Amino acid sequence: MATIRFINVAKSFDNGKVTVIPDLSLEIADKEFVVLVGPSGCGKSTTLRMIAGLEDISSGELYIDDKLVNKIPPKDRDIAMVFQSYALYPHMTVYKNMAFALKLKKMPKNEIDEKVMWAAKILDIEPYLDRKPRALSGGQRQRVALGRAMVRNPKVFLLDEPLSNLDAKLRTEMRAQITTLHQKLQTTFVYVTHDQTEAMTMADRIVVMDKGIIRQFDTPQKLYNEPADMFVAGFIGSPQMNFIDAKIISENGKLKVKFSGYSFEVPRKKTKSLEKYIDKTVILGIRPEHIASEDDAGESGTCSMTVNAEISEMTGSETNIYFELSGKRHIARIKTERKISTGESVKLFIDPEYAHFFDKETTKAI
Amino acid sequence: MKSRGSFGRGAVYVLLALIAVVFLAPIVIILINSVKGNFYISSSPFTFPSGETFVGFENFIKGFNQSDFMRSFANSAFITVASVAGIVLLTSMTAWYIVRIKNKFTRIIYYFFVFSMVVPFQMVMYTMTYYAFEFKLNNPVGIVFIYLGFGAGLSVFMFSGFIKSIPVEIEEAANIDGCGPIRAFFTIIFPILKPTAITVAILNAMWIWNDYLLPYLVLGSGKNKTLPVAVQMALTGGYGNKDMGALMAMLVLAILPIIIFYLFCQKYIIRGVVAGAVKG
Repeated sequence: MATIRFINVAKSFDNGKVTVIPDLSLEIADKEFVVLVGPSGCGKSTTLRMIAGLEDISSGELYIDDKLVNKIPPKDRDIAMVFQSYALYPHMTVYKNMAFALKLKKMPKNEIDEKVMWAAKILDIEPYLDRKPRALSGGQRQRVALGRAMVRNPKVFLLDEPLSNLDAKLRTEMRAQITTLHQKLQTTFVYVTHDQTEAMTMADRIVVMDKGIIRQFDTPQKLYNEPADMFVAGFIGSPQMNFIDAKIISENGKLKVKFSGYSFEVPRKKTKSLEKYIDKTVILGIRPEHIASEDDAGESGTCSMTVNAEISEMTGSETNIYFELSGKRHIARIKTERKISTGESVKLFIDPEYAHFFDKETTKAI
Repeated sequence: MKSRGSFGRGAVYVLLALIAVVFLAPIVIILINSVKGNFYISSSPFTFPSGETFVGFENFIKGFNQSDFMRSFANSAFITVASVAGIVLLTSMTAWYIVRIKNKFTRIIYYFFVFSMVVPFQMVMYTMTYYAFEFKLNNPVGIVFIYLGFGAGLSVFMFSGFIKSIPVEIEEAANIDGCGPIRAFFTIIFPILKPTAITVAILNAMWIWNDYLLPYLVLGSGKNKTLPVAVQMALTGGYGNKDMGALMAMLVLAILPIIIFYLFCQKYIIRGVVAGAVKG
């Protein structure tokens, strides 16, 4: 159990030639499950490795539980890490893999046994304790890797894309298992992934990173409902949010959004912040799932538009419709029973309450 | 097409069988003559021992008593075991350092090791012998250091190839689990290297045990001589003076340990050579 604090931490490689993280400040609370998410090369794994002590810190300060750990080697940080490649010791049995760290700590044998059996029971790997890692499936290996971390009862649990080598079904299962584990262990978890579904489903708070910079650090709900900028808005949510150039106009004393020949009234909660954008272009952000079709629009659809379905993808209960507005392709995810064929004219409704607005220059949310 | 394929395969088998005969013939000749009387070795070297020609272990007993056989055997055994142990231990650590610490220095060192593989021994033997005497390495302990140098090139090369295939995360996991670099090497990396280490051990043991020129130049033919030198010494002498039976028995005893060692470890050779070739 521990807090983690980054204070103006920077990381560069090749004697400062390549800066991966320019200036990172972040505070992770005790017992929190924090997910670092972002595209490849955004610095999320480097951040995690700095917590682990596997990467030196170029400048700044890193504290674990109010203890400056910049110069403390990994083994003395009281952390445990689960790697993407599992990194199990191939010549040791599952039991020995899990007992290794405890043995190094010179823990009595019966205590080691107790801890290993406890972790094996939780992770359901008791039947495999005598097997070598090569005789295990991917999911079993991943659980052994988790077990190896668990037995140490570390202050901080670090997980570096632990599920990316598993198939979709197993990933969903393990996701739930890790969440349960966090609840049981009551330890600080820092989890790195590029998969936003993992981030959204598991995290207490998510750090969205891009080019070594934190774009937003907040709860999944806040990231989804109130993204700080276009990067976060585009990154969180699948399919990604639609961005449409729109103009704010004042008509009969009312503030309206005009885009591609359509318009709707600015919702009351946004009027104040959008007032200074009158006659200016902003970016209107609409999530595909907030666009409805005639079939399920109900009362909420206050802005209707008629579009041509360029591509229609049935995903089960929902259908993704690709359509064009002002020369740009957008997506709507609608609930419909009937099959929509390519080229078909579809009436879609936007609920203004769910509209997001971004400054075109700064890309920040308005 | 099928019949042509099986004909081709048959031809390959015949060719391989012929090559095997050519390779095995000298060993078989030595084996059958080692239990024959001296006279019959000269008169009919290719016949199998029969009631009249068979002398049992007589030649072996004579060979034992001849030209310090046991002492030479012990010298060879010590030099081989010590050199191989040194090579395996030190070159695996060197290769690990070279692979994991990537900088100009380690790159240059690596190329030096690779280069040393292509330099023929004959090119350096005189200067090397000179310095071996200068530095008092002309004894069974000293020659171990020389073998360490000659064996290092190929061994570092082989170890490096395998270590490159070991994910660095395994070492990082060991670091987090509480290992320093030395401990991580001996408890995690070295056991993973086992197949390659055995291959390196076999290859080095074979040539060091059988080596003639280096021990002859450095240790000479005195009390420190190794087995190949002792066998050669037994061969010298005027025609008719040589005890061919004892010589054959000595040859059998000389090749026996290395054959046993090879058979014992051969399954690891293939595994070691291909280990890390493909992502597992």
